[in-house]
Amino acid sequence: MARGTDTFESVDWEETGSRLSTLSRRDWGALLSGLAIVAVFLYDYLVLPASRPTITVPVEWNVTQLDWLFVATLLAIVFYVAVPLYDNRRLTAYYWREFRKNRMAVLSLGYLLVVFCIGVVGPILLEKPTLALDQAYQPPAYMSVDSSVPVNCLGEVASGRCQGTMAHPLGTTGDGKDILVLVIYGMQVSMKVGLISTLLVVTIGTAVGTVAAYGSGLVDELLMRYVDIQLVFPAFFLYLLLTYLFGGSLFMFILIFGLTGWGSIARLVRSEALQRAEEEYITAARSAGAGTLYVIRRHLVPNVSNSVITAATLLIPGFILFEASLSFLSLGDPTVPSWGQVIANGRSDLSTAWWISTVPGVFLFTTILAFNFMGDALRDALDPRQET
Amino acid sequence: MTEPLLSIRDLRTVFHTDEGLVRAVDGVSFDVGRGETVCLVGESGSGKTVTGESITRLIRTPPGEIAEGEIVFDGRDLTTLSDGDLRDLRGDRIAHVFQNPQGALNPVYTVGWQIVEAIQLHADVPRAEARARGVDLLDRVGIPEATRRFDDYPHEFSGGMKQRVALAMALATNPDLLIADEPTTALDVTIQNQILGLLDELQAEFDMSILLITHDLGVVAEVADRVVVMYAGKVMERGGVFDVFERPSHPYTRALLDCLPGRGDGGATSIGGKLPSPTDPPEGCRFHPRCAYAVDACKRGDQPPDYAVDGDEDHVVSCVHYEPGGDPSVVRGEEAVPTDGGRPVDDEPTHTDGEEHT
Repeated sequence: MARGTDTFESVDWEETGSRLSTLSRRDWGALLSGLAIVAVFLYDYLVLPASRPTITVPVEWNVTQLDWLFVATLLAIVFYVAVPLYDNRRLTAYYWREFRKNRMAVLSLGYLLVVFCIGVVGPILLEKPTLALDQAYQPPAYMSVDSSVPVNCLGEVASGRCQGTMAHPLGTTGDGKDILVLVIYGMQVSMKVGLISTLLVVTIGTAVGTVAAYGSGLVDELLMRYVDIQLVFPAFFLYLLLTYLFGGSLFMFILIFGLTGWGSIARLVRSEALQRAEEEYITAARSAGAGTLYVIRRHLVPNVSNSVITAATLLIPGFILFEASLSFLSLGDPTVPSWGQVIANGRSDLSTAWWISTVPGVFLFTTILAFNFMGDALRDALDPRQET
Repeated sequence: MTEPLLSIRDLRTVFHTDEGLVRAVDGVSFDVGRGETVCLVGESGSGKTVTGESITRLIRTPPGEIAEGEIVFDGRDLTTLSDGDLRDLRGDRIAHVFQNPQGALNPVYTVGWQIVEAIQLHADVPRAEARARGVDLLDRVGIPEATRRFDDYPHEFSGGMKQRVALAMALATNPDLLIADEPTTALDVTIQNQILGLLDELQAEFDMSILLITHDLGVVAEVADRVVVMYAGKVMERGGVFDVFERPSHPYTRALLDCLPGRGDGGATSIGGKLPSPTDPPEGCRFHPRCAYAVDACKRGDQPPDYAVDGDEDHVVSCVHYEPGGDPSVVRGEEAVPTDGGRPVDDEPTHTDGEEHT
């Protein structure tokens, strides 16, 4: 009987139309959405004039290259984090119970979700802060500062002190920009930097690591030696050079560090995948007739994903902090108000207008801390070596 | 006799390692007939598993390599088959069950997903239908409440249940040949008997051949039609299960049987010495350093060719004492234990008391 079906559903059929392709339905969904984004991007880039906003309804939003990349990243997160979590509700509930044990992590997750949502939506709704020297150095609401500090105190002046107003709840900078708006813009910058770079790093690193581990021999040798070379390659200097040539840009930052920073992830994934590749279920899958790519995509990658996710959560704050430090050193993108840049701007006013540097500094600090807390809790929840 | 389903001729599988060339399988030949159960027996490291994995080329290349030999399955030589064609055979017509049920299931997927995967890798059936078939299979291999357990994860099953699931996956495509690599070694004796009984039932039901790899002679006595005794990558003796158990002809087979408690002079006797170095095997018969009957002829040249035992072409042994004109009685010790050959086979595996589930 098996013989009959074998000849009927001949070899060619297997190659072209098997129901179990290497890519899952989710992969296809992600791929199609990705292609759609590319198509819209090309339309925006090639057809629409650069000055014309891509979207006019409901808000005017001229989508930049970086925004496109961010949208793609968000889609990837939806397809590879949200959808699987929803699909495997029982497993999700289990992980959530484990995760919940760590109160700080739950708090961090809540905080990060708020930062994420405000960061994504805020800059679309809020206008970019502009120079307004007459509003410079306003203190935060419910705070006061010596009335000599702001040129023109917007709030009440009582006994020689300028009171902050709700018009600028977190005060303004030395050039009159609202710090709350700057911070919200900074949230988006941080999310873009953290998420896009990490996605690039994780995708490439996982692909290279698993292929090297499973391919073994020459493939492994070639890929890992390339990783060795890449790890000694000073991406920072490449970034400096390009900044010098073309001026700093966030897009460039993300691309350079995203595309050159995956070496250590590749190594991590490879060492993990080497162990997994020896497991019997891999042999079992091969003995069931699965091809190389299928085994890698459907059996190897899911089994290393826990360590990848944990590593990724700890990579994100690294990128955010790195971008902040470069911006602080004025090596960042001068056109985007990142937290590092605002901190750097307020540095000289620290003695009179402490809030300029402090407010974004606090946000930077708490965000990094929250990611680290979450990473720790995720490792506790996801690491299979702790539960068996 | 009709043409066997699987016919292995002079198979040589080697591994290129830093220590040198390991000849894990060194000229192995045997047949598996249709509907037959053949047991591959030998101690750990004798090349049984590599033989089983060589059939569908599951060994990792590199470092492994099938250097020589023919593996004819249903008229096709698998050694010359392209990777794609071989992949179509794997799982579809030749299925594997592995030793360790804990490891054979992917922990990140439900068992249902994995059975559906096994079905859909080879057959164009819609998901719902594959699911129905999967539940059916689970039920068939004896998982209680199969519908409910279908969406459970492997860690929610016990070892014996996992092995049943693995069996269900292997049977998903109704294979012609099932290669079971020590399927019961990791299980306790009662579960072992259940699984063996199940294998027996399923063999009849699915009309398949089984190549059972094991080191447990009790298992062999229970299920085998024919036995292939391997040692250090070579076949020492092969023949029907009754012939081999009643008239063990190779000193190694005899030594293996003597390891069983209750055999021979009563107590279990272990084989002295250890397996030869895999990179530098001894000349002559591989077993001669540990053989009580070794003579000078054993230590020279190659492994002796297969000689028929008592003129029975189906029962062959690779031992110099059986060469034409030789004196097999030296090895068989027929003067010392004249009734040995006459012992009924069923008495042997008393410690496994096996028949209850078949």
